[in-house]
Amino acid sequence: MDLLPSRLEGNARSAPDRRAITHGARSIDYATLWSSACAFAGWLHGQGILPGERVALILPNCIEAIVACYGSWLAGAVIVPLNAQAKARDFAPWLQHADVRVVVYEADQRDVPAALSMLDTRPIALIVGENAAPPDAAAWLHAMQATPLAQVVVPDADALAMILYTSGTTGRPKGVMLSHANMAANASAIIEYLALDASDSIVTVLPFYYSYGASVLHTHLAVGDNLVIVWYLVFPLLLVESLARERATGFSGVPSTFVLLLNRVPLEKHDLSALRYVTQAGGAMAPATTTRLRAALPQARIFIMYGQTEATARLTRLPPEWIDSKQGSVGLPIAGVEIEIRDETGQRAAPFVIGDVHARGPNVMLGYWRDPEASAAVLRDGWLHTGDMGYLDADGCLFLAGRRSDMIKTGAHRVHPNDVEEAIIELPGIVEIAVIGVDDDTLGQVIKAFVVIDEGAGLTTERIKAHCRERLASYKIPKFIETVATLPKTASGKVRRAELVAATEQRKAP
Amino acid sequence: MNHRQQIKQFVLRNYLFTEDENAVADGDSLIRNGTIDSTGMLELISHLEDSYSIKVADVEMVPANFDSIDAITAYVASKLPA
Repeated sequence: MDLLPSRLEGNARSAPDRRAITHGARSIDYATLWSSACAFAGWLHGQGILPGERVALILPNCIEAIVACYGSWLAGAVIVPLNAQAKARDFAPWLQHADVRVVVYEADQRDVPAALSMLDTRPIALIVGENAAPPDAAAWLHAMQATPLAQVVVPDADALAMILYTSGTTGRPKGVMLSHANMAANASAIIEYLALDASDSIVTVLPFYYSYGASVLHTHLAVGDNLVIVWYLVFPLLLVESLARERATGFSGVPSTFVLLLNRVPLEKHDLSALRYVTQAGGAMAPATTTRLRAALPQARIFIMYGQTEATARLTRLPPEWIDSKQGSVGLPIAGVEIEIRDETGQRAAPFVIGDVHARGPNVMLGYWRDPEASAAVLRDGWLHTGDMGYLDADGCLFLAGRRSDMIKTGAHRVHPNDVEEAIIELPGIVEIAVIGVDDDTLGQVIKAFVVIDEGAGLTTERIKAHCRERLASYKIPKFIETVATLPKTASGKVRRAELVAATEQRKAP
Repeated sequence: MNHRQQIKQFVLRNYLFTEDENAVADGDSLIRNGTIDSTGMLELISHLEDSYSIKVADVEMVPANFDSIDAITAYVASKLPA
């Protein structure tokens, strides 16, 4: 199986002039993308970066993020893409835990320099967006002028390619380790069921630092497509105009993406006739939204999908023609993947019996970075314990039925309640805190905090939110804050989140 | 309080959770610096429609009208009777 860097090289040779990436007024063809990646690899080599060492990419979706990704791989390095919206309190533990040697970030980033100052050993800083970097950093332009490696070596299939942090700015950061073979296998399976080829083009709004966005990026580069980066989901009309103008054949989103588009833009008034497929992952989409999407885009095949970062990205997809007959299902395992449901005793469950969803395949991660205990907890006997609950029907279609973890899914983001709780508890006057996700029509879930306040502190909701704003990415700031006298707890003192969720839902009920 | 001040107050209170007027400059990009995301933009538009009795058309939802306090102020002024 060809690894992703080999596929990019192949496209640079066979179609050097074809547009690879379009970002606003800028674009880059396959030959230039490849030569830029080789230059970046040469720069890393010149900095003394050795195979296996980590390069953190703290960038929004942009051409430089892709050059740095492939260039790092050509130098044998491991990329660590980090959420560019995060704050210094997030970056510092991630960078420390991954023991990164190089950090690539944008010139107007204020939180990365603050995080770097907190580290025991300062990595090499490379700044995108300025021709002249400060004395303690290098400029992107300088890196692009480096002598490319004399001979590019495609990495070993089993070598580590990427570490993706799924959570844990407090406590233990969890970095999912994905090999080059993991990424190639998942890309090949996705390319197969979407039937992607070089005639496709996709407009993407999904961040590359999440597994879904990364899979969209790499699958389309692997087949030699044009990938159009847009940042303006905030302006849905402009996004739809991009889809029409670029004659995009594909579009990928999370449920909230489609709710925004359907609610704000009359899709039928735009020429989206080239759009042959749409993919949806990142949490369950309401059947009503799926129905509206099909009515608005009758020519597009709609793929409902399920996956995990621990499985590179994708585990199952529902064949579009089964949307009616298998409503609510996330479909069949993709090529090379097996799904098994196990009951409480660990035995294989019969069809229609809800149990723990297990997965096996060439896309399952190597483990969590430098955390054998956490790795052993989810990787057992060659199977990935997903943490999701569900059942298989008689045809082997997977239906999800909840999750054991407390992770909140808001828009395209995953938020662990602990991250928010740890930030809020730092505010003097907060006695106790518990954070949950509550249902939201657009975002799937939004964050709600229950706080017990020291009466003498005079804290207001606005003060708590302002405190969060300084410490947390905007999507982690609670939309609702409720002051309570006490929090419901178990005998051992653990907060009963389920009780808070149930109480909130009960109040919303008519 | 004029429209600019009203709009700035709304942005400060609802997205930055502060009353410090120096927290954002009138010309700053609200999108680029992460002050307002996609759902925040819908809340802002809903607020403008309610507060000024205007209707924001889909074709008017563009950065030129909404990316800064300056832009929003000018847009609102253009929608109100002279």
